[in-house]
Amino acid sequence: MEKSQWPYENRAGCVTRLQADVLVLGGGVAGCMAAAQAARRGQSVILVEKGAAKRSGAGGSGCDHWESAATNPCSTVSPEALLKAMMDDNDGYNNAISHYIECREGWDALLDIERMGGKIRDTEDEFKGAAFRDEKTKLMFAYDYKSRVTLRIWGATFKPAMAAACRKLGVRVFDRVMATTLLTEGGRQGGRCVGAAGFHTRTGEFFVFSAKAVIMAMSRPARVWLFSSGHPGLCEFRPLQCAGDGHAMGWRAGAEFNMMEKSVQAEFSAAGRSFPPYSTGNNHNTWYAASLIDAAGRKIPYADRDGRLLKTVEERYLPAPGQDFFLKGGAVTQAKYEFEGPETLPYEELKKQGYRLAFYADLSDLPELERKVIWGMMVGQEGKTQVPVYQNFTEAGFDPRRHVLQCYGTGWQSAQFLPKERQLFGLPGGFMNDWDLMTNLPGLFVAGDALFASDCYGHAAATGSYAGRKAAAYARKNQRLPLCEEQIEAEKRRVYAPLSADPREGVSWKELNEAIAKAMQNYCGEQKRDELLLSGVELLERYEREVIPKAFAANPHELTRLLEVFDILTVAQVILQACLSRRQSCEKLEFYRPDGDGAEPAPFICLRQEGGRVLRRQVPLDYAGDVKENYEKHNRDYIEEKEAAL
Amino acid sequence: MSEFLFRQTPPAEPIQFDGEKCTNCGRCLEVCMIDVMLPGEKHPIAAYPDECWYCGCCVMECPEGAIRLRHPLMNQTRWVEKASLLKKEKE
Repeated sequence: MEKSQWPYENRAGCVTRLQADVLVLGGGVAGCMAAAQAARRGQSVILVEKGAAKRSGAGGSGCDHWESAATNPCSTVSPEALLKAMMDDNDGYNNAISHYIECREGWDALLDIERMGGKIRDTEDEFKGAAFRDEKTKLMFAYDYKSRVTLRIWGATFKPAMAAACRKLGVRVFDRVMATTLLTEGGRQGGRCVGAAGFHTRTGEFFVFSAKAVIMAMSRPARVWLFSSGHPGLCEFRPLQCAGDGHAMGWRAGAEFNMMEKSVQAEFSAAGRSFPPYSTGNNHNTWYAASLIDAAGRKIPYADRDGRLLKTVEERYLPAPGQDFFLKGGAVTQAKYEFEGPETLPYEELKKQGYRLAFYADLSDLPELERKVIWGMMVGQEGKTQVPVYQNFTEAGFDPRRHVLQCYGTGWQSAQFLPKERQLFGLPGGFMNDWDLMTNLPGLFVAGDALFASDCYGHAAATGSYAGRKAAAYARKNQRLPLCEEQIEAEKRRVYAPLSADPREGVSWKELNEAIAKAMQNYCGEQKRDELLLSGVELLERYEREVIPKAFAANPHELTRLLEVFDILTVAQVILQACLSRRQSCEKLEFYRPDGDGAEPAPFICLRQEGGRVLRRQVPLDYAGDVKENYEKHNRDYIEEKEAAL
Repeated sequence: MSEFLFRQTPPAEPIQFDGEKCTNCGRCLEVCMIDVMLPGEKHPIAAYPDECWYCGCCVMECPEGAIRLRHPLMNQTRWVEKASLLKKEKE
């Protein structure tokens, strides 16, 4: 191929206008579930996805476990008790509404996915007789075999089934279209959301969507502190294209955000310090509860929360004496004592006892079905594991009955990052929501990773379905409003500008992303101080003023990457503003302020823009109220629907 | 020795096609959420290999088994025979 040739048609400047009742932005797990739900409720639906809905999103390639399905027929925990644990474990800095929806409706969403064609049961009796399997329902459980709220699932089958179901329901799916802006009533910041615009990532064609209700189902931000120009695709846990475009366009439109000051010391960046998730020896998540051994082959003990050593593999999957259930999973690094599950002894203790690095994951001493479910199902169905880990390792001769897989680092994490290398992980900030999962912008609903304090697959699917239902109801009650032509024209100019910039002077997306990441490490690292944060604000404003107008993209693909980085810049600015707003350290937000005023940490701090000014307010941590009562008040129709179906 | 040529040095080559097996149906290219590939004459071209996040969906989608995905060398993890650790310890 000649350097100058672009294989797709050039349609830059061509505009296509489309209408729907409900417009869904983002075709990942949440977006597909939202679109299907709205379509089932008789609404015309458009789904806009930057990649390809069949496998797009953080959960596109698969998922091995589904958390918090408290209403599944085998669960021993009520949704209320589970939600209370999730809130208490985070001192209240969590999304009670969205996680209650997850606890209460996650099982409904999973059944929905099963009807679409996803596999959620051991129908072939491959694991018959296993301790984690319910013989009647053929459901299989992970982590805590007593409480049975987390299911093992064949998630690699899910996403293609969801995308196919959407098409079957008449959803018009626009793959390869990057939404770049929300359209608001009169083009006003804070006005009702009436549509969105974007462009085709191969042809450059411009799209304008008008809708009665819009669902924001795009990812959480990434690449804010971590970047590698050599391996940009590997620098975060989630896919490269999950960059936080939704957060950025929401901020520009005047949507309100919560917990944006939260970031955690990085855990995953296979471009640098760590390895691709689940490809190394460890004993968390997918690999729970693998045995670990040290360099001399000595078995590393597991203990319960009281330090009582566990003698059998079976005990690793059971709560401690007197404990109802324990918490493990994607967003739980270290649960409080009350919810703490079995764990290998801490490294400091192991060192004292003479255990030597490197450690290895040893599946050979597990009961056969436990070994087979970790290596073959969990590693295999979990995202990014089927081909590059399970298939490739097997072909290269890895045999879990004989071989042990090296752990890198001193525990389950495969690396130790610097405190200033940060990531939006473990319940990060996002859109603020009410009981309808609506934002402060009328007509704009939110689901999945776009929500504040989001975490995993079940949360994305359950909130997606819920938002689809609520947006459909809103679209039925509200008229379509005209779009603001000036807003559309301004966005067109913004989107296309880099295609006409001077390549000799223009900065590429990689150079800009690297500069933002370095700035955030320097000015918004682990310790937050006003002087540093303000220097960061100043530097990022300079990038916005001086670098963005000159940035260059050679084709629509590079333009996609560049506009993502513009969005990352916006998100970084929001984070700096949120950090400036919080005056005290707050452990559960992993927020440290040496220049704090010593007062009690503030509750939620929510930020939005109005007329270009940043507005802040504090919101009580218990703003969701009594979750059961409020859920039932807001979902009478759904509860009746379910009862009628029975 | 072959002729010198100029190229951009790739940090890694995640996706390799088997020219014998590939029918150039384009399914891999269409399923890739990141749009790493561009259409090519004999098979798609991994035009943006550095953007790959190694999910393996292109391999999962290929009806011919014509694609190999491999982690960059630095990310290829190590395993050993368990018996070799125990043996070393005895010695």
